[in-house]
Amino acid sequence: MTENQPALTPERQVEAARKAFDEDIERFVRFCDPAQLAQADLETAVAEERAFAEVRARHLGKKSELAAAKKSIGRVAADMRPAFGQLVRSHEEAMVQQVELIEASLKEHIEAQRTARESIDVTMPGRRPRSGHRHPITLLRERIEDIFVALGYAIEDDREIETDFYNFDALNIPDHHPARASQDTFYTTEGFALRTQTSTVQIHAMQRRGVPVRMIAPGRVFRRDTPDPTHNPMFFQVEGLCVDRGITMAHLKGTVAEFLRRMFGPDTVTRFRPSYFPFTEPSAEFDFSCFKCKGSGCRICKNSGWIELGGSGMVHPNVLRAVGVDPQVYSGFAFGLGIDRMCALMYELDDIRLLFENDVRFLEQFE
Amino acid sequence: MLISYNWLRELTNTSLSPQKLRDRLTMVGLAIDAVEMHADDSVLDVEVPSNRPDCLSHVGIAREVTVIERKELVLPEPRSVKMAGRSADLTSVEIKDPDLCPRYAARLVRGVKIGPSPDWLVKRLEAIGQRPINNVADITNYVLHEVGQPLHAFDFHRLSGRRIVVRRAAHGEKLRTLDGLDRELSEDMLVIADAEKAVALAGIMGGEDSEISDRTTDVLIESAYFDPNSVRRTARRLGMDTEASRRFERGADREHVLRAQARCVELICELAGGVATEDAIDVYPQPFVSRVVEFRPERVKGLTSLNVKTDEMVRILTGLGFKSDYFPLEKFTAEVPSWRIDVDQEEDLVEEIARHSGYDQIASELPPSNIPGEYQPTEMKQRSLRRALNACGYDEAITFSFITREEQFELIPALNAEAQTELKNPIIEGATWMRSSLLPGLLNSLRHNLNHGIRDVRLFEIGRVFGVSSDGELPEEPLALTMIATGAAVEENKAQADRELDFFDVKGALEAAVDWMNLSPLVFAGTTAKHLRAGQAAVIKRADGVAIGTLGRLAEAVASAYKFRQPVYVMELDLGSLLSGPERGIQYSPLPRYPSVMRDISLLLNRTVALDEILSAVRNQGVADCRNVMLVGTFAGANIPPDKRSVTLRLEYRSDERTLRDEEVEERHSQLTSSLLQTFGAEQR
Ligand SMILES: [Zn+2]
Repeated sequence: MTENQPALTPERQVEAARKAFDEDIERFVRFCDPAQLAQADLETAVAEERAFAEVRARHLGKKSELAAAKKSIGRVAADMRPAFGQLVRSHEEAMVQQVELIEASLKEHIEAQRTARESIDVTMPGRRPRSGHRHPITLLRERIEDIFVALGYAIEDDREIETDFYNFDALNIPDHHPARASQDTFYTTEGFALRTQTSTVQIHAMQRRGVPVRMIAPGRVFRRDTPDPTHNPMFFQVEGLCVDRGITMAHLKGTVAEFLRRMFGPDTVTRFRPSYFPFTEPSAEFDFSCFKCKGSGCRICKNSGWIELGGSGMVHPNVLRAVGVDPQVYSGFAFGLGIDRMCALMYELDDIRLLFENDVRFLEQFE
Repeated sequence: MLISYNWLRELTNTSLSPQKLRDRLTMVGLAIDAVEMHADDSVLDVEVPSNRPDCLSHVGIAREVTVIERKELVLPEPRSVKMAGRSADLTSVEIKDPDLCPRYAARLVRGVKIGPSPDWLVKRLEAIGQRPINNVADITNYVLHEVGQPLHAFDFHRLSGRRIVVRRAAHGEKLRTLDGLDRELSEDMLVIADAEKAVALAGIMGGEDSEISDRTTDVLIESAYFDPNSVRRTARRLGMDTEASRRFERGADREHVLRAQARCVELICELAGGVATEDAIDVYPQPFVSRVVEFRPERVKGLTSLNVKTDEMVRILTGLGFKSDYFPLEKFTAEVPSWRIDVDQEEDLVEEIARHSGYDQIASELPPSNIPGEYQPTEMKQRSLRRALNACGYDEAITFSFITREEQFELIPALNAEAQTELKNPIIEGATWMRSSLLPGLLNSLRHNLNHGIRDVRLFEIGRVFGVSSDGELPEEPLALTMIATGAAVEENKAQADRELDFFDVKGALEAAVDWMNLSPLVFAGTTAKHLRAGQAAVIKRADGVAIGTLGRLAEAVASAYKFRQPVYVMELDLGSLLSGPERGIQYSPLPRYPSVMRDISLLLNRTVALDEILSAVRNQGVADCRNVMLVGTFAGANIPPDKRSVTLRLEYRSDERTLRDEEVEERHSQLTSSLLQTFGAEQR
């Protein structure tokens, strides 16, 4: 339309704009039909959306035929103006409604396509380097330490190669006791012993700290056993010691029972049986109710309902005397148990040699 | 030890079933491993504590049962036998080494008829796993299991000179023992000899030559007490373990020698016929002195918290054979029975009373506490260390403390000696040396993994290493931390990794661990170490300059000795020294108020120039407002000469007073650049 063409009447102008709109929009109407819309892939839909935006601007924008027609209202007879207004409005509303319908449909379609294309498989592995694992002995040692620190115990540590004094004499082990024989105990060529129990730390701790004392000492110990599924020449023990005025076997029982409840669960029952150890008198072995079968009998407890765990007793007066503590004034209890053994029980290890083979397939089963 | 229930019932009139006995005996300290049926009998397998040899017999167990059941022990009645002649007129006993043989009694039974034992005796012995031989041998065995006294019967006529000499063996003296083995003896072994030769290993086993046979008519019954250590030593040396040695080693009852012998003689006369001598020759150079123990009943409560009535204490002690007038009741003395070698002080009596009152009667309570618990000073740091290394993919390993001899590793500085502590009596072949490095153990573990098809392995161990003893002092035992890494930088739940591990993975993990422990950062410098490949070896120093270990790629020679075909990176340091090093202080600094300007610089320089040198050169320039320098990256290859590399750094310029203008930054940066180019003879890229 140019300036010098004869001007259409405003009414005709509106009709013409509407007709042009209808022609241009025809190819987009299909997008209101879900079946036809589904056939448009993302790229087509995006291109059509862009094309449609142009169509909309052309027919409904400020420079559109319709806008021009609206401005021509001055040329309409005054009494016809309301009718003209009505005409313009009805066309405009119909056009806008249709445009918005198509637009919304396209937009939704595009969004759905994009979402589908960008969806991820949330079951793919999280991005992280492989994690390492603590050794099962460490897991148990840390738990044991946590329990006893909470009970007011100090954690102690000491040498692994020892003199006979710490490994035997001070522990009241008689000169000819079989434990001293080189059949059972490793000796260095200089005649030192590889400690056969962490009880050595009792002596060091009492010498260092004096009494009263409360301590546990986890650590490596050595005995001359040929490796087999139930033996290793090196294993881990934890020794406990509590010396004060007025300590009795009731305190020993209470402490061990509390420890085992915290370790194996609140229902754990502990049983003490008389036994013999050179460094305690009276002496007791302790068993606890099987955590697996709760006492009814199973493979772990050899059908007895009880699991033997360690040795204990009231510190022998000779041991107290060896570190200059008067057994008439102070008394104490001591206990010892095998961490490896606990480990074998808890994780049902069928061969404890696995503990020191460090097969990654074994290690990665723990925490 | 096996105990026949029927036999026990004869001695105790027990009304407890075998199962009940099992429980009750277990709870007084005689754990019963099993109860098994044997014909019409039940057999209890008793685990006798090593300090209770008195319980290695039916009478010993019976005594405990009678105290449990408040009954009386029913000992076999002495029987009258035909007697004639005095032993001293027929034979003689001479003890040449009374230190090893404090008592020896000999008695004869003449005119015996050797034959099979009666059924009841055979049944008894078979029930407790003993093999019947002939009546005389079976009777000695029977009495041993009844009262615990080992006895030996000699064919009297096979004894040269018809006499007994108890002496140490001559050097190289030979004896064929009853098991048919020829034994070569040494001078510290005690033998029973006749006029000419050894006829028995004292307290262990008789000789074949004087064994009872079908033709035997006269027997000499030995009942003696031998020194426990002597018997143990000899038995161990000869690899022997017999019913007799087991009892003598732990300590027999020397006061019971004659009674046991009489019982044996009575049974022989009854079951094999014959006439006994009227008495025994009893040589007793070291008579037994019974021990007396002072006892305050209040100590029972003091040590165990048990409230036991004094008459109950008296009952228990009396039942167990202790003698006392129990006066005054607050503090009396008790005479220890000769068979209780384990009792010599008050606490021992407390235990007797406690175990027969029942440990289950003791209360269970926590002791009052006024001491706070505490970890080892470095425990929390060590926990951080473990977790940091876990997070970096390292599994914790534990290896044996004894290894084969290893001389190819550079040790941590705390162990300056090259020597290793040697074991006198190793148990694993070759593992004769206490480790002075954790590397051999970890490398063996690595080899184990590689042999099982696992090629991506990262391990660490924390453990003591051992120096060598000098001047009779104990060897040093510093704590070491060791890491090894090989294979790919694997990710969790993924089969394939993007790259192989290298030096910087190990270094990075160690640095992370140091951060987790809140220690000052470590310093690394190129070095040489005998187990590390040249050019890929670093010495590790604490922030204060103390060298504590090494890190690098395992040298080819070492790797091939372990048959490794892929690069292995190893790190070992003195953990004690690391943990005692300076901590990383935390000091807040205010956030910058004015913006920073970043400038990159790429330098082309000799490969031998270490990044650390460049970074310190930048810091030492003291260029105004230059706040930080960091590595962007390095580049080599392509069009860069092989002896060079390009290093790109990013510098941060910032003032605390105002926003820097571009010209100011430019001026500072070009000043720094030209200075670096000059210092390192570098070109700018
Ligand atoms: Zn069970």
